Amino acid sequence: MRRLPALVTAGLSVAAAVAAAALVRRRIGPLRSERGIAALRLAARGGVRYAGSAPRLFAAAGEKREQLRSDLALQTAEDVTATLGDMKGVLMKIGQLASYIDDGLSPTVRRTLSRLQDSVPPMSSELAAGVLAEELGQPPEQVFARWDPEPIAAASIGQVHRAMTRDGRAVAVKVQYPGIAETIAADLGNVSLLRRMLRLAAPSQDVDALISELRERVSEELDYRREARNQRLLAAYYDGHPTIHVPGVISELSTRRVVTSELADGARFAELASWSQRERDLAAETIYRFVFRSLYEVRAFNGDPHPGNYLFHGDGRVTFLDYGLVKHFAPYELQPLMQMARFLCVERDPEGFRRSLEQAGFLQPEAPLSTEMIVDHLGVFYDTIREPGPRTITEQYASAVVRRFFDLRSPVSQHMRVPSTYVILQRINLGLFGVLGQLSATADWRAIAEEIWPFVQGPPSTPIGEAEAAWRARQLPGRRPVTVHARR
Amino acid sequence: MTADSYATAAGLVERSASAYISGIPDNPADDGFFGPASITWRVSGGLISPVAGLRSLILQALHPLAMAGVDQHSGWKQDPVGRLAATSAYVSTVTFGDRATAERAAAVVRRIHEHVTGTDTVTGRRYAAGDPALLLWVHAALVESDLAVRSLLATPLTPADGDRYVAEMVVAATLVGVPRAMVPATAAELDSYICSVRPELQCTPAAKESMAYLLDPPGLDEDIADIWQDVRDAAITCLPDWAREMYGYHAPEPLTPARRTEIRQALGILDAAFLGEPGVLEARQRITARMRAAQSA
Repeated sequence: MRRLPALVTAGLSVAAAVAAAALVRRRIGPLRSERGIAALRLAARGGVRYAGSAPRLFAAAGEKREQLRSDLALQTAEDVTATLGDMKGVLMKIGQLASYIDDGLSPTVRRTLSRLQDSVPPMSSELAAGVLAEELGQPPEQVFARWDPEPIAAASIGQVHRAMTRDGRAVAVKVQYPGIAETIAADLGNVSLLRRMLRLAAPSQDVDALISELRERVSEELDYRREARNQRLLAAYYDGHPTIHVPGVISELSTRRVVTSELADGARFAELASWSQRERDLAAETIYRFVFRSLYEVRAFNGDPHPGNYLFHGDGRVTFLDYGLVKHFAPYELQPLMQMARFLCVERDPEGFRRSLEQAGFLQPEAPLSTEMIVDHLGVFYDTIREPGPRTITEQYASAVVRRFFDLRSPVSQHMRVPSTYVILQRINLGLFGVLGQLSATADWRAIAEEIWPFVQGPPSTPIGEAEAAWRARQLPGRRPVTVHARR
Repeated sequence: MTADSYATAAGLVERSASAYISGIPDNPADDGFFGPASITWRVSGGLISPVAGLRSLILQALHPLAMAGVDQHSGWKQDPVGRLAATSAYVSTVTFGDRATAERAAAVVRRIHEHVTGTDTVTGRRYAAGDPALLLWVHAALVESDLAVRSLLATPLTPADGDRYVAEMVVAATLVGVPRAMVPATAAELDSYICSVRPELQCTPAAKESMAYLLDPPGLDEDIADIWQDVRDAAITCLPDWAREMYGYHAPEPLTPARRTEIRQALGILDAAFLGEPGVLEARQRITARMRAAQSA
């Protein structure tokens, strides 16, 4: 089992995967299907395994505190550097990117993942308090009415503490590891080493584009102020929503390395396995609504559809955590996506679909391909919404979607690329299908999509849809998506 | 004889990892000869270990009799990676194992050494692997390499901690049969000992060939081979000038802060690969937890 050639070691298999992941995001390009999937699987293993050894980047609020190994706690900024410096933090980021696509992750690997996540070393309470004091000007005991020095979870390059504000609100305070921003920035600066790794791992890739994407993504995530802005935006939009909950941000207690938000509690994704299928279907429906409402109404896409970023409360109510990666779209960028769905699924106009693909830059104009071939190739991505009626998103379907991305035997692949604006959408699509597939979720996805599609504005199709319609009616009349961008 | 007679170095990382793990006990009877509060534990098994290890091998090979013993006996060419892994496992056991386990491992090594005798073809001198003089050279090269590489590529030990480390390591030499009185116990003693041996050192064909193999091991996985170039360059950079000149290695790129960072970044990737091997993470966590517990005690 372990006698896999060449890429079996963590560092570079992770690199292979980022190459593969980036490929998924950038273009449907020249990587053999089998090898691509294998590389991802390896990377998921290597990356995840490695991620377990250091403060992980998967958000995980709500985890039991005893799972964090306090006996291994990082005591000083030097400990942080030793754990995450020297490229290791960067490798983890690469592994994290790869983990969005965990097609074929075996139960063993999943078990390894959760076991290793339990062994993540947190910061010692003194170290975390020191960062907080530097950021907010006073030690935590003075900033907050109550401060729990024991972290409740590891989070994105930091950890989460519980606290009570002076005006009595229970909050989650995410504190960034000291020195991590500088360390990771320095390591991302070694383009030549990254280039060597990636070139070896994926010789046919546009390595420089890959690296610049990685750098951009990571530098965004290192500044918590950006995350707080995005979370505020979505919390304002979903205020009062029947099943979607976005914890509010306490702006005056949020800085570059600290973000304070309303404390949320609920069941973890793993616990859903013991819930009824009906509960899982409802949770999936809410996740689906959240993803596409955010896209079409707020023109914002949370690029982190990771199972660790949800808390479940029953009856389809879900809390959405972690806004470290949110992509905003301009109306003109969103338009072609809507056109594609509209022509393929509603108008049933394949030529219109093809034109939209060309206009958005997905497909070369005048590619020597029949429109039938194009529809055949890309239709799989729309399978759940082309026809009305209940459909189950199985893990097999989720895998088929991933495989189609890697399917380079199709002549269609040669004429396609993914414009950089939409790269993130693909990652989310794959992540979303992955999550829904793990839930084996059944719903009339087409009917739900019609509710959300601005060009259809269909009637409520489910009880959640009814409640959502009532929520929308309560919103200010004439409210347009643009007003959402106003800062609260 | 050419380098072709060597077996390939495939599996270097995997086998080094199992060697490392094999020395780290689950339920030690005691803290062993060093213990969680020791400098030795602090400096062992980190990022720079591959460089320190390679540098010490390069130095050790300059003793013609030590080299002849390895060359003529140890199955070195048939299975170089296995031979290195055996040494790593031994070092890991003596460092982290409890006393009884470390003593048993040392007894095995002493027994093997009894049969390693012969004549060096270059100097014509008789040698015996159990000769305390040879064992001491091997020991000193290892300890001095740890100090030298650390001072160049990591946070250097304070002079006091450096002395403590050399003193702590004395027991490692005695375990394989060097009388305690012979073993340098301070950094200064270590340096003057190494100076005193220099007239005996020689870059024999066996040394040259063995090191050529180690510096560019055939059969490494491509990803590891790429990183190994940095390990090799780092080890050569950290050598004393005289040793580099004896081998005729090119003067290295100067060790600017930028170059040092680059080397560490490459080592970080190798370390991540090492950590990806089954059991390494858990072994390191066992050690870290014991060190932390000792710190807070």
